[in-house]
Amino acid sequence: MILETKELNYYYQDGESRRFVLKDTNVSFDKGKFYTILGQSGSGKTTLLSLLSAMDTPHNGEVVFDGKNILEIGHDNYRRNKVGIIFQSYNLIPTFTAVENVLVSMSITENELPDDHKTVAYNLLDYIGISQDKANRTVNKLSGGEQQRVAIARALSTNVELILADEPTGNLDEGMEQEIIDIFKKLAHEHNKCVIMVTHSNDIAMQSEQTFYLKKGVLNTNE
Amino acid sequence: MNFLKRGLLSITRRKGKSLILLAVLFILGNVIAGAISISQATANVEESIKDKLGTAATVELDYEELESMDESEMMNFEIQNLDEELINQIGELPYVKYYDYNTTTYLASEEIDSYNGMEEEDGEYIEQGMGMEFQLKGVNYAPVLDIEEGKSNLVEGRVFTEEEIENGTPVAIISKKLAEKNNIQVGDTLSLMNQIYEFSESGEEEITDSRDVPLEVVGIFEPQTVNTDSENQEQADFMDMELQNTIYVANEIVSQEIKYSVGDQAEYEDYFIPAFVLNKPEDAEAFEEEVTPLLPELFIVRHATDSYESIAAPIESMSTLSKYVLIVSIITTILIIGLVVLLFLRDRKHELGIYLSLGESRIRVIGQIVTEVLIVSIIGMTLSLFTGNLLAQTVSDSMIDNDNNNQREEQMYYSEMQTDLTTDDVLEAYEVNLTGEFILLFYAVGIITILLSTLIPLIYIIRLNPKKIMM
Repeated sequence: MILETKELNYYYQDGESRRFVLKDTNVSFDKGKFYTILGQSGSGKTTLLSLLSAMDTPHNGEVVFDGKNILEIGHDNYRRNKVGIIFQSYNLIPTFTAVENVLVSMSITENELPDDHKTVAYNLLDYIGISQDKANRTVNKLSGGEQQRVAIARALSTNVELILADEPTGNLDEGMEQEIIDIFKKLAHEHNKCVIMVTHSNDIAMQSEQTFYLKKGVLNTNE
Repeated sequence: MNFLKRGLLSITRRKGKSLILLAVLFILGNVIAGAISISQATANVEESIKDKLGTAATVELDYEELESMDESEMMNFEIQNLDEELINQIGELPYVKYYDYNTTTYLASEEIDSYNGMEEEDGEYIEQGMGMEFQLKGVNYAPVLDIEEGKSNLVEGRVFTEEEIENGTPVAIISKKLAEKNNIQVGDTLSLMNQIYEFSESGEEEITDSRDVPLEVVGIFEPQTVNTDSENQEQADFMDMELQNTIYVANEIVSQEIKYSVGDQAEYEDYFIPAFVLNKPEDAEAFEEEVTPLLPELFIVRHATDSYESIAAPIESMSTLSKYVLIVSIITTILIIGLVVLLFLRDRKHELGIYLSLGESRIRVIGQIVTEVLIVSIIGMTLSLFTGNLLAQTVSDSMIDNDNNNQREEQMYYSEMQTDLTTDDVLEAYEVNLTGEFILLFYAVGIITILLSTLIPLIYIIRLNPKKIMM
């Protein structure tokens, strides 16, 4: 088990009352598996992902990575060295080239990486399906699918075991969507990564090893 | 790709915004560079002129205070003389390097001709009888203070000995021009004449008695020339004439001649003007503090450097103005650059959120932004260093012309410490230069200002929440 949550609570205070987005959530994730979290808009999927990625702090409960509360690891440290995050809107630096975007995260992590960052970045992009020619273009000159591939390469570049993806195919057409899902499956099965993906698509959910359904703040393994 | 490289990349990839920032910094940099140039040039003038004015000080009656008295107060006020004992007491203070006190009278001569200034010496001047043209200046300091202080150079012979001063030996030091005009050599004796005048009922002056004052010339001096422009030529000629016709003798000789000319009409008391040369300029304040309580009523300490303010009015006003301009421009720069950077950062909110979501520390994100602003600033400042300096030269030239024309009439006042230096000397010493000191000061002020201006934008970065930006 690489990641688990213990009695995780997240709510919005509305006067005297609390509106729970997540209530007493307990879930665990293993390496080498591709997970999906399914739920309707506003069900709290993104909130859960923000807690798992240490972009936010729960009101109660804890997120445990490799047996250690991520608060102890430190949120910045956790994001820098333990997790790779992929967003729906890619979140790449628009004035940088694809390879520069990957190099940015490689320069931020403290994980041990090969000395020649640039070669690693090009190889990684090539593996994800971005040629060297495209890697040298500023990202706003790439298509949506290509930008998401760059974002995946960036998440992988720090040599982390945990990949969190927030509706990464939301802006892509169906063909491109499948290509990205294939990459995630490959990462989980061939590279022993734990890939957790938030989605509202049943088709994608069906391709994962395990799907969690989020409804009214409660996470279930059954719909 | 560390944060420094990211900063460099951001500058080159956002050329438009970098150029806007550069333009704003260039304009503000010019104002700051101009203000610092002027401020430093005025400070240099003050230092060099005060250095030229020297560390001399005197004790004299405060005429301004005396004039401010009403008539009855003035009538009842008895002006005391500075006695030798007090002058010696002050002279022995540890701040004093050496000191002298002088008494002066004017004598005539049948035997020698006075020096009448450059133009008159060319032949157009017609002598009109015998006047009291020779200033007999008594000294108590044997090496002669004016020579020691470099106001005059001893070109032949020697200065006085202690015995000659003490005994009132009739020996003298005269100017080179006076010696040349009258073909006097060291060792010759010149004869002056002390005359007693009386005025007849018709108002005509009558010489009632006279006596010869023979003096052996032991030394010849040459006053240092004062450079003046044509506007002050008349005044300079007069001062030069006075100096050339000055004959240094022991105080005792002057005292005897004054007593002779006063006769038994009144009880004569020596009137001495003291001159103290201090060890260093920094001693001036302590010296004044210690001396003031010892002085008779209405006497004050006056320093040679006091006259700086009167001769440097145009520079002083420019110095004040440049300081205000500097302060205002620094505040303006902090506000404008702060706002411009903040606006640019709002545009880059997304990028900053990406760095934070990747786990980059806020300190490094701040470091990147500060690096970017500093790189553009240093380029802008380097460009404005030269143009600002040129601007300062042009602006100060026109300000000096303006101020000098307006204030020229207010410069005249009399003091024993009055200097040969004029406003024109001060203006001549004023120079806006691109010195190493200026460059260092400009960069230091500029960089501190820029760092201060990034404070508000940095607060913005600290408050950024990556979740709100990214998800």
